[in-house]
Amino acid sequence: MSKQLGMVIDASLCLDCKGCLSACKQANQVPEGKWRNWIKDGDLEPAAAARRRVVFQPGGCMHCDQPTCVSACPTGATYKDRRDGTVVINRDLCIGCGQCLPACPYGARYRHPHLRVADKCDFCVQRRADGLEPACVSTCPTKARVFGDLNDPHSPAGRLMKKHAADQTLTQVVNRRSPTDPNLYYLGDPGPKHWPAQAKMPEALEFFKNLVKPAVNLVVGVTGLGVVAMLAKQLLMPGDAPPEHPPQGGDHE
Amino acid sequence: MSSPMIQRHTNTGIFMHWFNAGCWLFLLATGLGLLQNPDLQPLGAWYPGLLRAVFGGGDGLLGAHIAVALLWLAVWAGYYLRFAGRYAVPFLVSIFTLDPRRDLQWIVKKNFQMTLGYKMMARLVRPLGWDGRLPEQEYYNAGQKLAAQVMVLGSLVLAVSGLILAASSWIIDTPNVPWVQWSITIHYLAAGLTFAIVLVHIYMAAIAKEERPALWSMFNGQVPAAYAEHHHKLWYDKLSK
Ligand code: HEM
Repeated sequence: MSKQLGMVIDASLCLDCKGCLSACKQANQVPEGKWRNWIKDGDLEPAAAARRRVVFQPGGCMHCDQPTCVSACPTGATYKDRRDGTVVINRDLCIGCGQCLPACPYGARYRHPHLRVADKCDFCVQRRADGLEPACVSTCPTKARVFGDLNDPHSPAGRLMKKHAADQTLTQVVNRRSPTDPNLYYLGDPGPKHWPAQAKMPEALEFFKNLVKPAVNLVVGVTGLGVVAMLAKQLLMPGDAPPEHPPQGGDHE
Repeated sequence: MSSPMIQRHTNTGIFMHWFNAGCWLFLLATGLGLLQNPDLQPLGAWYPGLLRAVFGGGDGLLGAHIAVALLWLAVWAGYYLRFAGRYAVPFLVSIFTLDPRRDLQWIVKKNFQMTLGYKMMARLVRPLGWDGRLPEQEYYNAGQKLAAQVMVLGSLVLAVSGLILAASSWIIDTPNVPWVQWSITIHYLAAGLTFAIVLVHIYMAAIAKEERPALWSMFNGQVPAAYAEHHHKLWYDKLSK
């Protein structure tokens, strides 16, 4: 199986210390007011009252297998990197149209206020290049966040995947109407599971896809056929040209 | 044909035409390659793939598209600043002035002529009372005028929506940018519809035999007087006065 970087997060270990948030901000110079990761608070859920203890759900971009943000990107600036399974943003190809933002059910993306392009968690691509784990993983005091190739049983996250595949205690947090097949898996009680929004494809993009594209195909197709037909006529019926000097005076094309 | 030659295009006009045509077709090819999303790309995945290979990746492709677009805009801006009164405005006036009777008649009859063929038309339409002649035309015939209108207006929409798209990652700070998103859709629509006309334009100008003298005139500026009299009688008469 191909490489798929991801995380297995043991929600029961999270203390809500927010170390992962600040480590991420620092490592990635995340601009003021923006966050690449989060800890959802279980107390926000109605079911929390019935629960005896508080639960926390650390998260971030889920580097989904069916990423709706990729479907919302016109240029391919956001894409699923087949080499390691991460969802990548090519900042030099991103035009900052923002269509991927509402397309993410998790709200994992923001528009970078200075670079004016989409931005989100990249599993600390710089640190990984230096042989380090993502900042949020390294800093976690209880090791609630475990990172690695989910398909490699020798990686820390892959080991947990393999171990818990049998007892079926792994859960994904998904909106049923936008099943993106995320690559962040949870152990323990992650608390709120229904917070992801339905992925919203921008109106302009839907209009493009459903109306503008077929309309342009039709118009260009019909004129193209017309031109080909005229060309064929010119080649097959070469005699059919207007007379150079028509009788009564002229043919004013 | 040993007819004397008369001047049809200035060197400036010839330069602007070919500069514009080159930029336009380059921008069309690269712009289409920027659409990698399969929901939007009309040609299939091979096309954006091919262009990305040629330009060393999507960012190279975007860079080339923007660079040529800015050059295109800058040269047009310079042309309008320098030659507005001398060439640009008279050109716009001549393509946007349609004579309802003469020009509409020309369009209808010319369409009959091209679809039926000259011989067929002579057989079918002449008995109905039409002598087969087209109304006399000015510097541009009605077809050229309509095509030029679409090309001018389409290019204007492309320029404005394109500038908004470029500005998006340069100066637009709002996080929610629906007008940038709509600019993408409008940019494509304008390019597509204008391209349909450009197709016809290229056929008529470069391939159709009747218009051969006009094609040469886009290189050396001149047409034979007989051609001018035959195709653009009103312009010819004005020159001969
Ligand atoms: C290889 C492609 C092209 C060829 C061979 C070509 C050829 C010509 C010729 C021969 C004329 C002169 C007609 C005359 O003197 O009566 C002309 C005029 C013109 N061309 Fe092109 N052209 C090309 C591409 C384009 C493109 C891409 C555009 C714009 C998007 C364009 C816009 C115009 C306009 C606005 C005129 C003047 C009005 C008219 O004739 O409709 N051309 N072209």
